Amino acid sequence: MRCAMPDTHFYKYDDYDRTLVSERVDQFRDQVRCRLAGELTEEQFKPLRLHNGLYLQLHAYMLRIAIPYGTLSSRQLRKLADISRQYDRGYGHFTTRQNLQLNWIKLEEAPDALAALAEVDMHAMQTSGNCIRNVTADHYAGAAIDEIEDPRIWAEIVRQWSTLHPEFTFLPRKFKIAITGSPNDRAAVRVHDIGLRLWRNEQGEVGFEVIVGGGLGRTPMIGKTLRAFLPKDELLAYLESTLRVYNRYGRRDNLYKARIKILVHEVGVEKMRDEVEAEYAANRDGALRLPPATIEAIARQFAPPTLPPRLVISGDVEAQRLDDRDFALWLKSNVAPHRVPGYAIVTASLKPAGSPPGDASAAQMEGVADIAEAYSQAELRVSHEQNLIFPHVAVEDLPRVYRELAVLGFAEANVGKITDIIACPGLDYCALANARSIPVAQRISNHFASLARQHDIGDLKIKISGCINACGHHHVGHIGILGVDKNGVELYQISLGGDVDFGRTAIGSILGPAVTADKVVETVDAIVATYLEARREGERFVDTYRRIGAQPFKEKVYGSL
Amino acid sequence: MAKNLSGDLQVASANRLVDGMVVWLDEAGQWTDRLEHAAVARDKRGAEILLERARAEAFTVVDPFLVAVTEDDDGTVEPLSLREKIRASGLTFEAIAADAVRNA
Repeated sequence: MRCAMPDTHFYKYDDYDRTLVSERVDQFRDQVRCRLAGELTEEQFKPLRLHNGLYLQLHAYMLRIAIPYGTLSSRQLRKLADISRQYDRGYGHFTTRQNLQLNWIKLEEAPDALAALAEVDMHAMQTSGNCIRNVTADHYAGAAIDEIEDPRIWAEIVRQWSTLHPEFTFLPRKFKIAITGSPNDRAAVRVHDIGLRLWRNEQGEVGFEVIVGGGLGRTPMIGKTLRAFLPKDELLAYLESTLRVYNRYGRRDNLYKARIKILVHEVGVEKMRDEVEAEYAANRDGALRLPPATIEAIARQFAPPTLPPRLVISGDVEAQRLDDRDFALWLKSNVAPHRVPGYAIVTASLKPAGSPPGDASAAQMEGVADIAEAYSQAELRVSHEQNLIFPHVAVEDLPRVYRELAVLGFAEANVGKITDIIACPGLDYCALANARSIPVAQRISNHFASLARQHDIGDLKIKISGCINACGHHHVGHIGILGVDKNGVELYQISLGGDVDFGRTAIGSILGPAVTADKVVETVDAIVATYLEARREGERFVDTYRRIGAQPFKEKVYGSL
Repeated sequence: MAKNLSGDLQVASANRLVDGMVVWLDEAGQWTDRLEHAAVARDKRGAEILLERARAEAFTVVDPFLVAVTEDDDGTVEPLSLREKIRASGLTFEAIAADAVRNA
């Protein structure tokens, strides 16, 4: 394990990391040269470009940039803006895996874009292919009031272990790991190949619950507990054992049955546990059992920033709360408590009414970087819900942050509300999609644009995918919308009752026959109306659905269409 | 005007190697970014020949394939599938401009 001087509040590359990334850029530059010269066929070149995050989509190449555990410095975000302007069309799309996608990259310029990324210690490795993908984490990490420990320390350790891991570069299928350090799961750990949840046992020790075999896609499954409590220093050996069992027994004969969730489902979690524990028994005291000094050295780099004392209650904030209804709503939905009194966590909504969810222009990225530098220790997080987070904002500064975000169009008071829609790029960009996602999201967003109405409806998560691969997480949306193609016509299948909250994780149930694109808004409207008629005091949409079941929603939707 | 919706009409398409942009094969065997210049195969044998020509000219493109199209009486060609319509016409919504700040 490598450690650098703790001059940032998260991991900073050392010479080893920089050399690795820089050599990779040089290598890819040569591969691109060979391809353009005709020395490599597309068949030979395709896996090489995918290993560097470069996909070929409908209209152009797409570069998927890794943002490890969703943590960014303002300097890095500024560089992403630069790259989007210089090598793309001046905007990017933040994804449900905390990555950034640039949709119009030219192959001949891709090595230059990667070299520019490397200048700020970033890359696009392992954002494609059957390897361990970018590790995701709670977007409130390092600031959350309910956090037991910062999960990014372990996400970074996993990142170092999994980067170019020779044994796990050609797994049966891609492999996604998510980590949370809080009891309130904001990282969706039960729907990942492996989910890790830090918790404190009765002895006061902190360790991991290891959850395996969750996932969305064609066959959605909720992960099962493989190990209820794993001492932290045993994490890598246990992960290696689990991946080794998957690599050995995971199916390679059928693409659709190759994820670890299928293996766990087919053999059962008990058998899976037996296999992993047997493997682990042989490896637990090997080199992957990290010495405390190594863990502490990594942890020091995630040491919280020194936040000077600030007012816990600000007169300016309270005055504006009374005078400005939109600001008051913003405080309710977009501002979360910080573990340091006098500070708050602010979510910049990348979902202003009618906009493509998760998209930001270069100018907006630069504006967000400016705000982070002025008010949030130059730090940012990307959420899997496609928003940007300022983790350390003084309560006194909230009115200023709100004003500056409003200039960027990112002050919509809708976090967790019906227009805070997750949507994949869909058929407008994606070669795998069957139907469009973004225009559907835009129509719903415009229809429910009134903030007062959104706050009256309360917490309601809509998630839209343009195909069964479920990049838009539709299975776990309170309202899930899946685009399908039926004889050349886009249809949208509606599901209700999905959830990713820990302890209540659920896959939504299909409501009934799919509806045409022009009926989606009407359908969502009917579902919301049913909820509003039936809800009890303080009851969220998904709670009402659980209480009354699908029938009243079906009657309203299909009776009215 | 009447359209030929039989699905017999096909053009050859691909993505340009250097930048991934959508292109079609024209009558001269060149790749063009203008669908209206695409060579149209009018039957199964013509489509086979068109695809062979496309593959023979694939040095500068990626993975040529056939696209079913319709043709108006005035010769205007349009893809049958939504996917190919989007490939031909671009995004169906307005993307954000580089210097856009929304609601400013």
